[in-house]
Amino acid sequence: MFSSIENVMEQFAGQKYIASRRIATVIYLASMLKKPVLVEGPAGVGKTEIAKVLAQSLGHELIRLQCYEGLDEGKALYEWEYAKQLLYTQILKDKVSEVLVGAKGLAQAVDRIAQEDEVFFSERFMLPRPLLKAITSEKPVVLLIDEIDKADAEFEAFLLELLSDYQVTVPEIGTFKARQIPLVVLTSNNAREMSDALKRRCLHLYIDFPERDQELAIIKLKAPEAADKLASEVVGVVQSLRKLDLKKTPGISETLDWVKALTLLNVQSLDQDLVSETLDTIVKYEGDVRKAQEELKEYVRRAKTRRGSDAGSAGPGPASDKDLLN
Amino acid sequence: MEDKLVEFANLLRQNGVRVSLAETLDAIGAAGTTGLENRDSFRAGLRATMIKRASELPLFEELFDIYFSGLGEIIKQAGQAVQDALSMSDQEFQKFLDEVEELLKKEGQKLSEMAKELLQNRSGQMEQRMRDAARAVRVSGIERTIEENYFARALARELWLDKIEQEIRELREQIQKLDFSDAMKAKLEQYLERRLKALDDIIRRYVRMEREKRDMRAREERKLSQLGDKSFYYLSDEELDKMKEAVTRLAQRLKNVLAVRRKHAKKGRFDIKRTLRQNLAYGGVPFKLRFERRKREKPQVVILCDVSDSVRNASRFMLQFVYSLQDLYSRVRSFVFVADIGEVTEHFRNNDIREALDTALKGDIINVNAHSDFGRAFRGFVSDHIGAINKRTTVIVLGDARNNYNLPHDWCLREIRQRARKVIWLNPESRNTWDFGDSEIGRYAVHCDMVEECRNLNQLYRVVDQLVVR
Repeated sequence: MFSSIENVMEQFAGQKYIASRRIATVIYLASMLKKPVLVEGPAGVGKTEIAKVLAQSLGHELIRLQCYEGLDEGKALYEWEYAKQLLYTQILKDKVSEVLVGAKGLAQAVDRIAQEDEVFFSERFMLPRPLLKAITSEKPVVLLIDEIDKADAEFEAFLLELLSDYQVTVPEIGTFKARQIPLVVLTSNNAREMSDALKRRCLHLYIDFPERDQELAIIKLKAPEAADKLASEVVGVVQSLRKLDLKKTPGISETLDWVKALTLLNVQSLDQDLVSETLDTIVKYEGDVRKAQEELKEYVRRAKTRRGSDAGSAGPGPASDKDLLN
Repeated sequence: MEDKLVEFANLLRQNGVRVSLAETLDAIGAAGTTGLENRDSFRAGLRATMIKRASELPLFEELFDIYFSGLGEIIKQAGQAVQDALSMSDQEFQKFLDEVEELLKKEGQKLSEMAKELLQNRSGQMEQRMRDAARAVRVSGIERTIEENYFARALARELWLDKIEQEIRELREQIQKLDFSDAMKAKLEQYLERRLKALDDIIRRYVRMEREKRDMRAREERKLSQLGDKSFYYLSDEELDKMKEAVTRLAQRLKNVLAVRRKHAKKGRFDIKRTLRQNLAYGGVPFKLRFERRKREKPQVVILCDVSDSVRNASRFMLQFVYSLQDLYSRVRSFVFVADIGEVTEHFRNNDIREALDTALKGDIINVNAHSDFGRAFRGFVSDHIGAINKRTTVIVLGDARNNYNLPHDWCLREIRQRARKVIWLNPESRNTWDFGDSEIGRYAVHCDMVEECRNLNQLYRVVDQLVVR
C-alpha cells in the first residue's frame, strides 16, 4: 500500500510514469477508500498504462478484461466446463450405477442423483474468467476493465455488484466474496456515456493531453536516447497539431512512437521533408494528414523566423536589444 | 468540515451537477484521507468523488475557487486594502497590528469578540463568524441583484454591526484620552475607521459573490433550453457550433440503442437439428451446442437533403446530423438537391465536417442558386440512383416541399417507397404553413410512412426517439 500521495508519485516515477498530483491523489484515494477508479480521456494519454504501472509498483498481479460489443458474463465471469462435466459422467458411469443400485423406480433414481449433483456444479467444473479470478485470488490484485464503453449497457449493470460490494453471485453455487479486495481500474474512451449508477460507485479521473513541459518530461523518461532538441521540436509540433480539428488527435503514445522512430533514423533535428515522410506515425487518417501538412508548413515557417530573429539579436550584443526596445 | 462539504455539494446541485448522497459521503472520506494541507490534493479528491462528467469539470473548478477561497480571499483583500490606505509595508503593518493588540489588551476589555477579531485582523475566525451569520439569515437563498441590499442589511444585523460601530466609536474616544503621540493617535484613528469600512465592504462583496454562485447555473440553463427550442432559421454561428455537439450526441444515442437491439438479436434459439447432426460423431452425446444464427441487419439509410436558400440554416444543421450519422454507420448514402440531385457520400467521408458542409452548400456538386424543384430532383434520383434503395433501406427526406409550382412528380416518391423499407419526411417548416402557397407536402405525405415537423433540436430528439422505439 502507498503511504502518502507523494509516495504514489515517487513509485509511479520509478515505473517510468509521470503522474501529476491529481492522478496521484486519485490513485491514493482509491487504495485507501477501496473504491474503483473510472479513468476517462482521449485515446493515447496513458489510461491503460495507469493500471499496469499501479500493479507493478505495488507488486500485484494485473488481471485484465478487455471489453467489446457483445461481451457477456460467460466471458467475463465464469463458464461451466460443459465438456469436462460430460467426460466425468462418462468415466464415472460405474460409480453412477453404484449409486443407483437398489433404487426402486425412476423417481427414486432421480432423487439419488439429485443428492449428488453438487459434485458436478462445484468450483471444479468452473472455468474462472477475469472477474472471478480477481475476486477469488489469494493475493491482492489489480483488476483492469479496459474500454468499458465498448461493452453493452447490460454488462455495465452486471458489474455493479462487483464494484460496490466486491462480490459476485453464481446461481448454482452462491456468492463469492473477495478474499482480498482488488484495486479496480476501469477505462473509457467516452464512446458512450456511462450510467450514473456505475459512475456513482467509482472515483472519476479525467486525463487530458499533457502540457508541453509534462510531455517533454515523459519523452525524457520513456525515450532517453532522443536528442533534447529533437524532443522539444517534436513536442512543439504535436502540441500544435492537437489544436487542429483532427479526426484522431495524436496522443502521448503517438508522440513517443514518433520520437523513437526519428531517433532510430538518427535524426537530430526536424526539417520539412522529414516531417512529411514520417507524419503517418502520428496522424492516422488521410484527411488528417493533409490538414497536418498545411499546419506544419506554417509551423516550420514560424520556427524559422523565430530562429532568424534569435540569431540576429545574439550577434551585435546587448546594444541591439535596446534598439529593439526603442 | 463536513458541513462545508455538504454545503458545497448543495451548491454543485444548484448548478446542475448531480451529486448523490453517496458521493457526498465519498467526498468527506476523500477529504479525510487527503487532508487539507495541500490544496491541490484536496481539490483532486473532491473532483474525483463528486464530478463524474468531463463536461462538468470547468464548472467545478470555478465553483471550487469561489467556494473554498471566496470568503477568505475577500477578507484578505479587505485587510490588504486597509494596509494600503495606511501606506505601510508588510513589516510595518505587522508591527502596527502588534501594537494594536497590546492596546486592546489594556483598553479593549469591553469590546465584543467580533470587534476584537476585526481589529486584530484574525481572518480565520472572522470567516467562520461570517459563515455562521450567513447561514442564519439564509444568504444562500439569494436570487436576484435587487435582493443584494436586503441580504447585506440582514447580514449586518446578524453580525451586530451597530454594536461594533458603537464600540469602536467609544474606543476612539478612549484613545484620544490616552498618552500617545499625535502621529500615533492619527494613525489609530485612521485604522479604526478603515477597519469599519472594510467590514461593510466584506459583507457587501460576500453577498454579491453568493448571488453570482447561483447565477451561473441559471445563465447556462437558460442558454441550453433556448437552444433546444430555437428554430433552425434563427441560429447564430456560435449556436450552430454548439448544435454540432448536440447533434453528434444524438446520433451516438441512436447508434447505442440500435447496438443493444442488435446484440439481443445476435444469438438465436437453440437449434435441435443442427445440434443432433453435429454430435452424431460423439455417439449422440451433445458435446457441442448449436444455436440458430441470425443475420446481422445493418441499418441502411439514404438521406435526401434540400439545400435551397429557403431552408438554408435548417439544411446546414441537417447536414451536420447526416454527417454525424455517416460517421457512425457504414451504410449511409447522402444526397443533396435543389433542382438537380447529387451524391455527397464520398465527400462527407473524406473531409472534415466544416469543409464538407461548405462544399455541399457552396454549389460544387449541384447548382444551389436554382429554384427548388422537388419533382425534378426526385425524378433525377429515381432515374440515376434508384439502385441505392432496397428492402432494408430507410429513406429520410429533409425539406420544406416548397416546389415553386413546378410539377411535383409524386409518383417518384411512390416508386421509392415501394422499394424501401420506410420513407420518413422531416419538414423544417411550421405545421401551420404546410400546404399553403407552393407547399406540396400534402401530396408527398401520402407516400411517406411518417411526416414530422422538425424545426428545432427538441423536435429532432422526439423524431429520433420514435424511430428507435419502432
